[in-house]
Amino acid sequence: MTETQKVIDALVAGATPVRRLRPPLVRALSWLALAGAILVLLAIGHGVRSDLTGHLRQPVFVVSILAALATGVLAAIAAFMVSLPDRSQSWLLLPVPTLAVWIGTIGYGCLTDWVAIGPDGVHLGEALRCFATLVLTSVPLAIALAVMLRHAALLRPATATLMGALAVAAITSSALALMHDIDATAMILMWNLGTAAVIVALGGLFGSRLTRVPRHMP
Amino acid sequence: MEIRGGANPATFDRPAMPRADDSENSNAARRRQPALRLVVPAPRKGAEKAGERDWSRLMAAAQDGDRAAYRALLEAVTPFVRALASRCFRDTGDIEDAVQDVLLTIHAVRHAYDPARPFGPWLVAIANRRIIDRLRRQMRARSCEIEFTAAHETFAGDAANFEPDRGTADAAALHAAIAALPQEQQQAVRLIKLQEMSLHEAAQTSGKSISALKVAVHRAIKSLRKRLRAGEDAP
Repeated sequence: MTETQKVIDALVAGATPVRRLRPPLVRALSWLALAGAILVLLAIGHGVRSDLTGHLRQPVFVVSILAALATGVLAAIAAFMVSLPDRSQSWLLLPVPTLAVWIGTIGYGCLTDWVAIGPDGVHLGEALRCFATLVLTSVPLAIALAVMLRHAALLRPATATLMGALAVAAITSSALALMHDIDATAMILMWNLGTAAVIVALGGLFGSRLTRVPRHMP
Repeated sequence: MEIRGGANPATFDRPAMPRADDSENSNAARRRQPALRLVVPAPRKGAEKAGERDWSRLMAAAQDGDRAAYRALLEAVTPFVRALASRCFRDTGDIEDAVQDVLLTIHAVRHAYDPARPFGPWLVAIANRRIIDRLRRQMRARSCEIEFTAAHETFAGDAANFEPDRGTADAAALHAAIAALPQEQQQAVRLIKLQEMSLHEAAQTSGKSISALKVAVHRAIKSLRKRLRAGEDAP
């Protein structure tokens, strides 16, 4: 009996019934529902920014928020699509137009306001509070997405991670734009895509050891 | 059980048989068709669909826990995957490793297959992924390795590595044997064999004729051979 035949025997012996993945669009929508729930909870807990109604009259602000939300939705759909082996890689282009619009309205506010020195001495800047919102939004979303896309580790790890990070970044950015006074887009993109880049780099270094398939095999 | 790489890899790789409804146009088609084809004709849609539907059905049953269907599927796709792998690897060991990688990946992500979609692209995508991974790993490994040249092999060979005591003993025996030769032969051996001079150079250095040197070397080697062989036989 050849080695390959032995592998087939072992696989057949371990062939327990599995639950099929639901269609990628449905899964993307359920993740977006989670994102929506987190946004609503944060808005209730933190409260929307005081000058929101004023800002909603500014076209640039509205375009930026809508573009960020659309990028989040489209990147989430793209991430779920490319996580399946037989879907086209062209899905990666889906969030590009809205991403371009969003990047066009980018600001650097948060990065320049870590510590404010005012007449009453040194105090922590808005950046730290907005960093807290950023972590509160992006960490649960990223964990949920990583769990939902874990099977992509064997197929297209880098592209799925990149799209997922973009989706989380876009959703987080729109959350911050609705809740904080300063524009945090640059910080959020750096935080999320930077983390994704680190994860992809680590995966490149250790990936073959982490995702070796037969660990749980009979 | 085992089908080797040369076997017809998959049902959907095989071109379809002409169907009855094609017969009206078949004469016209034959006239249009060139006599020599350099490429394999593309498989007909019908045959492709039939083979894939079969695999699709087997995979759907396997997802529900049907082990017989799962075995049938894995055994049916193995030759196909082997054919894909054999395009990238020459070594049969590498090919089999790639095939096993693909089978393990199919097993790990079998819940991600949607039976409503064709199985072929799903399988080919996974197989390509794994084959490329293996090629990359090989390239990375090769970039850290240096191939043995003839010099490496020669220096590593046993014959090229004297044991120190034996080596010096041999050299000492040879030098002793040379020292025991008559003066004229000793000088000829030293100049021509040990210092590797040409006959002209040796003739100029020693002031003897070329033919005298030749004779001296010939005699010296003959007596050296006799003496060393006698030394070898003695113990």
